[in-house]
Amino acid sequence: MDFSLTEEQKARRREFYDTCKQLDKEKPASLVGFEAIYELDECWDYNLYCAGEFAKRGWLALAWPPEYGGKGDMMDRVFFSEARGYYGIPGVDIFGVQMLAPTLLEAASEEIKREFLPPIARGEVMWCELWSEPNAGSDLATLSTTAVRDGDEYIINGQKTWNTGAHRAHWGFGVFKTDPAGRKHHNMTFILLDMKTPGITVRPIPYLDGSAPYCEVYFDDARVPAKNIVGQEHEGWAVVNLLAGFERSGINEIMNMLRGLEELVAYCNETKRHGQPLARNPLIRNRLAELACELEAARALAYRVADLQNRNEMSLMDASAGKIFFSELGERFAFLATDILGPYGQVRTSRWAPLNGVWEKMFHEHFITTISMGTNEIQRNIIAWYGLGLPRMR
Amino acid sequence: MDLRFTETQEILRKTARDFLATECPKTLIRELEQGEMGYCPELWKKMAELGWMGLIIPEEYDGIGYTFQDLAVLLEEIGRNILPGPLTATLNSVFAILEAGTEEQKKELLPKIAQGELILTPALLEVDGVFDPSGIAVRATPKGDDFVINGTKLFVEMAHVADYILCVARTKDGTPPDKGITLFLVDRNAPGLSCEVIPTTAEDKLCEVRLEDVIVPAKNVLGTIDEGWPVVEVMLRKGAIAKCAESIGAIQTCVEMTVAYAKERVQYERPIGAFQALQHKMADMWTAMETSRYLVYEAAWMESEGLPCAKEASMAKAYVNEVYRHVSKWSVRLHGAIATSDDHDIPLYYRRSKAADIAYGGTDFHREIVAGKIGLI
Repeated sequence: MDFSLTEEQKARRREFYDTCKQLDKEKPASLVGFEAIYELDECWDYNLYCAGEFAKRGWLALAWPPEYGGKGDMMDRVFFSEARGYYGIPGVDIFGVQMLAPTLLEAASEEIKREFLPPIARGEVMWCELWSEPNAGSDLATLSTTAVRDGDEYIINGQKTWNTGAHRAHWGFGVFKTDPAGRKHHNMTFILLDMKTPGITVRPIPYLDGSAPYCEVYFDDARVPAKNIVGQEHEGWAVVNLLAGFERSGINEIMNMLRGLEELVAYCNETKRHGQPLARNPLIRNRLAELACELEAARALAYRVADLQNRNEMSLMDASAGKIFFSELGERFAFLATDILGPYGQVRTSRWAPLNGVWEKMFHEHFITTISMGTNEIQRNIIAWYGLGLPRMR
Repeated sequence: MDLRFTETQEILRKTARDFLATECPKTLIRELEQGEMGYCPELWKKMAELGWMGLIIPEEYDGIGYTFQDLAVLLEEIGRNILPGPLTATLNSVFAILEAGTEEQKKELLPKIAQGELILTPALLEVDGVFDPSGIAVRATPKGDDFVINGTKLFVEMAHVADYILCVARTKDGTPPDKGITLFLVDRNAPGLSCEVIPTTAEDKLCEVRLEDVIVPAKNVLGTIDEGWPVVEVMLRKGAIAKCAESIGAIQTCVEMTVAYAKERVQYERPIGAFQALQHKMADMWTAMETSRYLVYEAAWMESEGLPCAKEASMAKAYVNEVYRHVSKWSVRLHGAIATSDDHDIPLYYRRSKAADIAYGGTDFHREIVAGKIGLI
């Protein structure tokens, strides 16, 4: 068992860190948390700018096959993700680069790959995901938005929801019912569509902190080309499962928390309460140390998942365990940090907000990781059913 | 990076697992808990034949010369089967000898340890019950070429069957607590030394060792006089990682036994493992185990490579202490009343979670080390 990196890997990792450190200096102060890029124009522009910088270096196509412009390997993706997480740098479209591209490489026709991969690699086209519906969340297979074939088009009707950044995205990918009479899991198709298509209406949903990074998307006789599908017609469920399998190790979020811990430690060293630094308070020391231990545990497990992925192996259990653990660690961290900040823990990004209000933001944002990408309760089902072999719920 | 076990480690693992499955049944563990010795000399001999005591002893001292990480792999199997006896006590003494022993001491002691002919145990704790240097009050005074030791050591693992007790004693007063500490290899049969087993949660034969004018020859000083605390820190660090490796194995057994039981125990006309209330608890147990596992493997790897890892070792110990306790507790809970019976195997693990927690530093002790290492002033 070897956790070490080769000299070459260390050098590449350094390059990712150096670039992100540089980009961090140009980051707008209003960019706090993960979702603010969808919120404010200057943050979205910065997101596109970072995407361009990464694209120039070929970093949006890491570990792709060379014939599609790929370079590097899976470990590069891990290092890049680490570096972006640590400095909180956007620019890698979670939907286009992280989810769709590997899915296309695995399951799309040559024609689709040639058409859609290059703009992703160039950082030009940003994507959104069109999965959940008002009545189909975790039980996605019960979705009801239809795509009816009409010649070389589909006519889409219905509603999707919880679509992150759909108001910013250029294109969307989703699953739609194409064979209402077909068997469950064999009645839907994975379709790529231009978000400017007439008949598509995007409405941001007010999030609990007053921001609006998520949307609902309405389809009213929206006509999209039938050629833009991934996988076989009516077999979109298999593509959904494939895409869900491209689990991220969580290293991005974990490194983000690590930097957050470093900044919080500095704050505790500098801030006096009861005539002494907060850092001298034994309760705070104990709680921060407890969190630091959990963070290191999360990081070690993320490397385990990355190491498996790097060898084209996959442990569904470890990926689910990692997701449960780092996301719930995010909750605990948000609660701990806002506790430590006392009354300042409730101040939104402004003059009285310590650490630029990041912990007030995290008090709301942690739900993203516990609920999205398969709720943690679904992840526990996955571990129980597929990992531990316990009887499946009927 | 390659987080798979090496071929050597896979072989070591399999050999240990098969060996312990036949040689160390739970009936033996119960017997040893009830008996006075706390270990089985015949089994000890067989373990020596497998090279376990000499695993990390270099070949030049008749050991196997494996790495610390290899040892962690073995200890995980030991922990799976909660093998009782003085193995970890002896191994932790070996850490100190390798760290601070003279060539002469190594040549004399290590081959015998590797052969299974010597049992050693470190004596760290005293009445204060703390693992920091302020707790060391046992006094060693020079007398001619010898030292005279007086005082009481507590919670000394299997001291009653040890050949040597590795005694941490104070040799100078009026200095900061971590200065003026010296390690001594004390012959357990030396006049003035007496041992008494303390009844403990895990029935693991922790002893009170009383030293009354015990004479130790100068050649049995381990390391530099007055400069012993850094050696103790090495023992605490390596001991903590080693204990974590054992705990990972124990945690794995708890998870496996609980999942197996949940599949066979039927209530409301279905296996209780079909209920999500229990499924999610078991998923949490599994998750806690996996997060512990790679934290421990990482610390063991760093220790193996000689990288500074005081932070990672303490992180692992503080974290695994909690996980072992919670997983074994939930193992009892999910089994239900049956696992509160002394005849059931799960309580053997639950009780040992307390012993594992205390050994080489409890949760708060290690969290305080972590607090300093993450930069809190």
